[in-house]
Amino acid sequence: MPEVLIADDSEFMRNLLREILEEDHTIVGEVENGVEAVEVYKEQAPDLVMMDIVMPIRDGIEATDDIKSSNPDANVIMCTSVGQEEKMKEAVRAGADGYITKPFQKPSVIEAIEDVVPS
Amino acid sequence: MRVDIQSLGTFNQLAHEGATQATESLSQLTGIDAVVDITKITLMSRADVGEELGDDEFVGVQFDFDGALQGQTVLVFESGSVGTLIEALVPGGADGEMARSGVAEIGNIMMSGFIDGWADYLEATIDHSPPQYIERTGADVLPEPPANEEDEQIFVFKSSIEWVGESVSFYIYMLPEYDPLAGLMSELGDPGQDAIPVDKLEVFNDMTTQGTEKAAQNVEMMTGIETTAEVTQISFAAIEDVPKQIGTETYVGTVVEFTGTPSGYLMVLFDEVSARNVADALMPTDAEGTELTEAHKSAIEELGNIMTSGFVDGWANVLQTSVEHTPPELVHDMGRAIVDPLAAQVGQHQEHAFIIESTMKTDEIEFQSEIHALPNEAELRAALEALDVDRADETEADAEQLFK
Repeated sequence: MPEVLIADDSEFMRNLLREILEEDHTIVGEVENGVEAVEVYKEQAPDLVMMDIVMPIRDGIEATDDIKSSNPDANVIMCTSVGQEEKMKEAVRAGADGYITKPFQKPSVIEAIEDVVPS
Repeated sequence: MRVDIQSLGTFNQLAHEGATQATESLSQLTGIDAVVDITKITLMSRADVGEELGDDEFVGVQFDFDGALQGQTVLVFESGSVGTLIEALVPGGADGEMARSGVAEIGNIMMSGFIDGWADYLEATIDHSPPQYIERTGADVLPEPPANEEDEQIFVFKSSIEWVGESVSFYIYMLPEYDPLAGLMSELGDPGQDAIPVDKLEVFNDMTTQGTEKAAQNVEMMTGIETTAEVTQISFAAIEDVPKQIGTETYVGTVVEFTGTPSGYLMVLFDEVSARNVADALMPTDAEGTELTEAHKSAIEELGNIMTSGFVDGWANVLQTSVEHTPPELVHDMGRAIVDPLAAQVGQHQEHAFIIESTMKTDEIEFQSEIHALPNEAELRAALEALDVDRADETEADAEQLFK
């Protein structure tokens, strides 16, 4: 099963994502900010990172930039409440592979993952 | 048409002084100790004026006025207070026609005081019609909007007056016709650096309505509770009056600071019952007890986060910029205690503030939510300057298009 790292400062949202993903994916870690996301990514090298944008300490776009700089083949899907075009462009520039806007339904999450990490 | 902030402040002050004069008249006539709680100018749709009056019963008076300004004013008392008012005016009390006449006369004297200050400031005459006695429920106390003008945005001057020591309020509404008022504000002001384009303020209000609808959709998608956006309005008030925009009851919700164009603070607030109901709807299993659990709080934080984004993203997309916001901070306190420190922050740089307010509710369960944004005045002005009205409906961005 593909390994997934969940980075979101909201416990509620981490739980929701875990429930959606755990049937077909292995959750290798859940972190609350961009610094932890980069650290755990480097330790675990998961197949996919589900990355929130607005997080304390370090935001998800900077963390994505770091992860992609260290491994251009890393797969990162932004999973955020932010629906601003300029922010989406920043995510593209940072190297994000997909973008899901909260609130989401399970099919849209699965579809976005399938686009980035085909089963 | 441009209106400078100083003019808005002056007009707000005129309304405040008018309300104070009216309150002093009331005290002289009846011996009732009353104070003006808040005065503000609000830009809102005609159809929404008076929503805050709820389903309460009121008695009062309506006037038409004409001259340097044209429009209508309304003064209403909560109907439960009328007996005391009449007793104070006519010891021994009065019934029927005499009581109505007494209320009309109190209203007449109070509202003459309210209007005279405007006439003096404008060095002109403002005439008003004889008072029309009214006895109605909620927003029905206000004049009917002209046909086909329900959605038109107008400036409304609102004052609420508190009867000291009693939980009774009086309300004064002044609804001037838009064009003469905007013309006067524009004429009297300095169209220099701190002037705002009023027409764009209307467009911004429309964008905010769309943002509220998006936030309501987000609530519905997350909770399955059908949610409708209600009133959206932009008010202008003195900084010291900002905390009074929010009630004294206890709220649960989130506060974020947003930065960009514009910047400021945004609160998503629920009353305690609504907070518990909406958090329950977000949880996979029912929680015991009536207190909010840590899981409830996390759910409310995330809901506040998503509602905040729904609300501000439209501004960013229309303005082709980005509006960043901090992670949501959970708040659980009396409304005015939540907004006090935020008003103090904003007040370091300005004497007045714009307050952007929206409400949403549902009929399915007891649920009501309020969103209050407190933008930095200079940056709101910059945002309005940058606003291309032709892009006003481009509030949504398409991620799929960008990530093809």
